[in-house]
Amino acid sequence: MERKIRVVMAKLGLDIHWRGVYLVSQFLKDAGMEVIYLGNKFPEQIVEAAIEEDADVVGLSTLGGNHLTLGPKVVTLLKEKGLDKVKVFMGGVIPPKHIPLLKQQGIYEVYGPDTPMDVIIKGISDSVTVH
Amino acid sequence: MSEDAKNGQCLFSEEHVRLIKDNYNDWFNTCLRDADRAMEGKYFTHSGIPIKLIYTPADIETIHYSEDLGFSGRPPYVRGVYPNMYRGKLFTVRQLAGLGAPEDCNLRIKYLMKHGATGVNILFDLPTIRGYNSDDPEAEGNVGHCGAAVDSIWDIDAYFKDIDLGTISTSIVTHLPSTSLVIPGMYFAIAEQRGTPIAQVAGTCQNDFIMETCVGSAPEILPPAVSFRMQCDVVEWICKNVPRWNPISYNGYNLREAGTNAVTEVGIAVANAIATAEELIKRGMKFDDFAPRMSFFWDLHNDFFEEIAKCRASRKVWYKIAKERFGAKNERSMLMRYHVQTAGITLPATEPLNNIARSAIQGLAAVFGGCQSLHLDSYDEAYSAPTEEAALVSLRTQQIIQAETGVVNTVDPLAGSYYLEYLTEEMVNRIFAYVKNIEDMGGLVKAVESGWLHREISNYNNKYQKDIESGEMKIVGVNFMRSADTEIAPIEVYEYPETYTRQKAKLDRLRKERNDQKVKECTKVLRDKCHSTENLYPYCMDAVKNLATHGEIAELFREEFGLWSFPLIS
Repeated sequence: MERKIRVVMAKLGLDIHWRGVYLVSQFLKDAGMEVIYLGNKFPEQIVEAAIEEDADVVGLSTLGGNHLTLGPKVVTLLKEKGLDKVKVFMGGVIPPKHIPLLKQQGIYEVYGPDTPMDVIIKGISDSVTVH
Repeated sequence: MSEDAKNGQCLFSEEHVRLIKDNYNDWFNTCLRDADRAMEGKYFTHSGIPIKLIYTPADIETIHYSEDLGFSGRPPYVRGVYPNMYRGKLFTVRQLAGLGAPEDCNLRIKYLMKHGATGVNILFDLPTIRGYNSDDPEAEGNVGHCGAAVDSIWDIDAYFKDIDLGTISTSIVTHLPSTSLVIPGMYFAIAEQRGTPIAQVAGTCQNDFIMETCVGSAPEILPPAVSFRMQCDVVEWICKNVPRWNPISYNGYNLREAGTNAVTEVGIAVANAIATAEELIKRGMKFDDFAPRMSFFWDLHNDFFEEIAKCRASRKVWYKIAKERFGAKNERSMLMRYHVQTAGITLPATEPLNNIARSAIQGLAAVFGGCQSLHLDSYDEAYSAPTEEAALVSLRTQQIIQAETGVVNTVDPLAGSYYLEYLTEEMVNRIFAYVKNIEDMGGLVKAVESGWLHREISNYNNKYQKDIESGEMKIVGVNFMRSADTEIAPIEVYEYPETYTRQKAKLDRLRKERNDQKVKECTKVLRDKCHSTENLYPYCMDAVKNLATHGEIAELFREEFGLWSFPLIS
């Protein structure tokens, strides 16, 4: 049997609104992925979970402004642990001008409000198959 | 009811209604096309109430004018809580102020007041809401975003520098009961220090255990029963000591944004009000001691008539509960007063200027619904907390509704619409049924502990999103009439990168200047009181006056009460 894409999803740090992250998690599950939703976690805990769960993808949701600080931190910690292949996606309320900054620091893709679920599902699938 | 009709108590006579029904059947069968008839039963309000093609007196034949509608300022208050409504006092134009450090917010408050705002909503960053100091490791990256950082009483002093706390009405958006035990106390203490007796201080704090346990998720959450106890402590103490303050705002708004419909939004908030009332009565208070100061907070979403019906229905629901269930004697206990915020969830990032229209329409519905206070979301909602320009457009929109449209000149101007009256009655019945459902489960605290409410929210969101994805729910410019060349708008966002440094410097100074022995004593007492049934408010006040930080107090609560795991984690 083909291995399912494994996605670890988290609310980043103190962020509070869980509607988006939980919805995306459910839609990814419905699309056939293995999704582990961690709830609110800090970068170190997210990386630990990514190791434990053998994740292909880490999805970070944040609406409250910690994206520039904590998002790249997850990428750095993953690299430190040798998990260079794990792709980190972000979603939430992220000002468009911050997106290039996040990508420069290794965030694979950023999905803002209004993004259709299909786009997210395809983006994640493609990122895992294309190495 | 047919007795009422016979006695001429209903809006229309029995005979008249019979004639209308005959005419309706004739019209339906002969005037409509097959295609029209086939569509009957396929339209629904957002909350799922079927919508007919046309409404007539036959749809409201059981409505008894005096009992079901009455007059403004008279039971059952469907038409408004005050006799003269907006002629007497316009709804408070209450815009948000909160970004960066308290010193920045102070300027924003002065800016909004200079442009005619009559009250302010003050917001906090996430570390403040969840009880961490700006220099705690958990706060990293969140200091000064989405609201102001408040670490100690000094910050509240700075927030309101040169503002007379005896005249302004301030809504303190504390979210959680644990935060409501601390930050309004700082505000009261500052008022006292400046010579304003706390009996004169007016305002509201959000103080809702549902915010702690359902609406927001967080790494560290207090157990529902603990959070509920704190909610009741806040209400009890403030009612006894700060008589012009609304100690609780049952937060339908955030429930709605998290994922409920118009019926369940009101149902859950009302179930919480019932639970609070029962607890306070158990503590020896009378319903009339606290009910006049309980307030509600609604979200005005897109479904124009349903939202107006919701506002009207909620007043009747509360009146009946206050009067019939709790035996209220004081008329003010029976009045459901509420603040409205328009629905942020409906404001997309795509073509953001369209959001000015959305918020204006939602705001108009709020006024038709009879709100006491209003906040209009700004067009840049999906980008950041509002910039000054966006906040000003929201303020001006409210002033246009007040001064230019004429809708405030007469009470409840849409009353008597067959559709609106039908919807209002239907909402009343559905809200009561939802409240009963929660009570049959053992009440709201139980419904939260079991994870039932979280599942309700999640199921609603799933359906809502599927409706968007399928195009059944249309969002102009996003999944409907989308422009080919839609680009992300170049919206400016506020950034306060220096907030952390400023807060850290203040905290360092505070720790040097305060009397640590005194802080230890106060927090030791508070720690002990956590395990008693005593009200925690005075002990929190004492701690903040002695310069204990908000983060220290919240940490103490986490240690003493332990943490709860948020449901739905896989």
